[in-house]
Amino acid sequence: MSLPSSAPTMQACQSCGAGAPLDAHFCPQCTKILPLPRQADYFGFLGVPRKLNLDAADLERRFRSLSRQFHPDYFYNATPVERRASLERSSCLNDAYRTLRQPGARIEYLLKIEGLAPNGSGEAARQVPPALLEEVFALNEELAEIRDLREGGSAAGEWQGRLERARQPIEARRVEHEAQLQELAARWDAAVDRGATDGERRAVLDALRDRFLERNYIANLLAGIERELNS
Amino acid sequence: MNGMSKVVGIDLGTTNSLVAYVKDGVPAVIRDRNGDGLVPSVVSVAADDTIYVGREAQRRLLTDAKRTVYSVKRFMGKGREDVQAETGHFPFRVTGEAGGVLRIGVGDREFTPPEISAFILRELKHRAEAFFAEEGDLDPEVDRAVITVPAYFNDAQRTATRDAGRIAGLEVLRIINEPTAASLAYGLDKRHTGIIAVYDLGGGTFDISILRVEDGVFQVLSTNGDTHLGGDDIDVLLMDIVLAEMSSPSYGGPYVGPRFSGAADGAAGPAPEVIQEVRKAVIQAKWDLSEREETDIVITRSGTAEAVPYETERYERHITRAEFEALIQPIVDRTLAPCRQALADAGLEPSQIDEVVLVGGSTRIPLVGRAVASLFGRTPHSEQNPDEVVALGAAVQADILVTGNREMLLLDVTPLSLGIETMGGVTSKIILRNSTIPATGSEMFTTAVDSQTAVDIHVLQGERELVADNRSLARFKLRGIPPMPAGMPRVQVQFQIDANGILSVTAREQRTDVEQTIEVKPSYGLTDEEVERMLVESFEHAEADFTARLLIEARNEAEAVIQATEKSLRAPDFAEIEKSELAAGERQRIESVAAGLRMVLTSSDRETIQKWTQALNDATQHLAEVMLNRSVNAALAGRNVDSV
Repeated sequence: MSLPSSAPTMQACQSCGAGAPLDAHFCPQCTKILPLPRQADYFGFLGVPRKLNLDAADLERRFRSLSRQFHPDYFYNATPVERRASLERSSCLNDAYRTLRQPGARIEYLLKIEGLAPNGSGEAARQVPPALLEEVFALNEELAEIRDLREGGSAAGEWQGRLERARQPIEARRVEHEAQLQELAARWDAAVDRGATDGERRAVLDALRDRFLERNYIANLLAGIERELNS
Repeated sequence: MNGMSKVVGIDLGTTNSLVAYVKDGVPAVIRDRNGDGLVPSVVSVAADDTIYVGREAQRRLLTDAKRTVYSVKRFMGKGREDVQAETGHFPFRVTGEAGGVLRIGVGDREFTPPEISAFILRELKHRAEAFFAEEGDLDPEVDRAVITVPAYFNDAQRTATRDAGRIAGLEVLRIINEPTAASLAYGLDKRHTGIIAVYDLGGGTFDISILRVEDGVFQVLSTNGDTHLGGDDIDVLLMDIVLAEMSSPSYGGPYVGPRFSGAADGAAGPAPEVIQEVRKAVIQAKWDLSEREETDIVITRSGTAEAVPYETERYERHITRAEFEALIQPIVDRTLAPCRQALADAGLEPSQIDEVVLVGGSTRIPLVGRAVASLFGRTPHSEQNPDEVVALGAAVQADILVTGNREMLLLDVTPLSLGIETMGGVTSKIILRNSTIPATGSEMFTTAVDSQTAVDIHVLQGERELVADNRSLARFKLRGIPPMPAGMPRVQVQFQIDANGILSVTAREQRTDVEQTIEVKPSYGLTDEEVERMLVESFEHAEADFTARLLIEARNEAEAVIQATEKSLRAPDFAEIEKSELAAGERQRIESVAAGLRMVLTSSDRETIQKWTQALNDATQHLAEVMLNRSVNAALAGRNVDSV
């Protein structure tokens, strides 16, 4: 029942029984494809450091090269164990590349594997982040007034200008947050590079999580205004 | 090659199907003796249960329409309620229970769409086997195939296609998407690098796929489409016009019935054979207008059954390309929104597309080519035969699978998002559309009451928020959850979409590490048991089909003997022969045996036909010898004269 306290560092090859490093894709002994360990992480899987600034072209090259090694097309005549492993590794590769290729998804994934899941679909995402309370309050008041104008039959010209003006401070916040996220990402990468202590890393991650949640909240607000403008 | 069973690529189309194979690295379509590569996707079930497929079945649309099924691909993976609006267009019955797989009624028999498709696949299999046998292959059997489907086919439609393959006795190595297959065939010619858009407008379906090709990896970036849009829809527009005109008083046509597209079941209207005659004529006109500026739609009574319910001897209508284009513009326009969506999903502007490739017979229509050119701002390619390129690509993929040829690799995507039903009838997405496959997604489930041991999961496909607006794929029942207080179990459900784009589901309770058993009820699919049963039935029918084939052969032989006999009896010198060479009563005997054979000819008793054929052969043997001698003597006499 109890979960292992420390993560394993080796895996066993199901074809020949030899031990293999956890992030190896093929058995060093018999060269057969290895089954996917349950605790595979996307960074290790793609062979890149656990950092937030990744070279997109390099990532794509790795994706293509690994696709050519794992794809189920090339395991049609292999044993059921190998075919299963090929399907698992191909799926993991596709999921990993899809996640790490997008900067936002990359941050979210890092937070998750570092144990700070932002819990995207839960209550936390719907609550107004404390730092944004004042602006959100003002925006909602303004939106309510604009809606009244529209429903009262005012010409589009009258309320569209107000809506656009209401949008601007939020948009400015978004730009500010993107910059902060980039700065935090650079700080995280530097912490990884110099082998910073858990405490230091944790501080960066906490800040990263807060900014990330705020940014998502702002993105939703902007999308809402966009809908109002276009309706 | 020898000693290994063959593998082929099959394009199972709405209108036509093809089979292709790879020889020495080059794909080729397998043709019949006349060089014809297309097998019309038409199946006819005669009153005596004989199954006709292809050209013969297509001919029977004009004589026995109600027993003839075409465009069955439109019904794959569908329920009866999905196709309600269009069943009036078809001569055959569409039945089945609400909320289940629909059935196609032919006479007193009923078939599921995969069974009808299996008849077509079996015909292709036979064609390929006959071809390999003729090539001198020691083992010409074909039991494995790659089959193509529209990229925008959902899980149920893909599964139905795979089931059809199994029923036909084929191991389906892979289901691949038609536009992607086409890109593989194109990629063979040139070492492409860049971004390709494949625009595929076929008989019944439309797909757009955008691919990045680099280092031999064909990676689909996005795909979109409409599985109910194609040449069939153009035919219906033209048929509506013709049938309305034919029934109008000004045309003098006495047939008055509801307009074709509005014809309700059982309502008085033109006979199905007449409708098929009209369909054939408008398709010809459609083809003509791809080559010429104007043409005539001509329908005559000849060729239809005698019970033609309209008395117009001949219907004729002039149509110009301009009129035709105005008529079909809305259909062509419907393809543009999916193209724009696919571009947006790939994060690309039209100007970033390096090449545009046209696939599917309907892209021969000049208006389609112009619309595509103007959307993408470049002239599309159509060097390869748009009817054959998909089958060629399927053959290439089949070759990759069995030979392990690693020159090329196809990375396709799932066309529709996969989700599950959550509280309040809302869909929660688990795997987003345009994710590269194979792909996985997982979701944690728990229980709502103490000691609950089972959980229901409703899986859907589609982009909409509400469950009701998406396509129900299946209902899964998770069983065997260890009894715990409510909310305690943590059941991780893993959704796996494989390289065929087909879903499988596994589940594990995390606290106890117990694998859950899952019971699947596909919403519009056959269960494994049903497919097995159909496979067995198809073997039984294969026996019946074989018997039917022997019967047809016996009849053909009998007819040939009757004809030869009649020819002899009508010969100018027969009277002289009878007087000088034949015994008394010999002619009467021949005539009575021939009459007897004619009478048994329509029976389905092969042995009786063969007995009477033999009897006629025996009865005419003496006559045949006499006539042969006379002609030999005449020839000799001629030569003697010459040699003197």
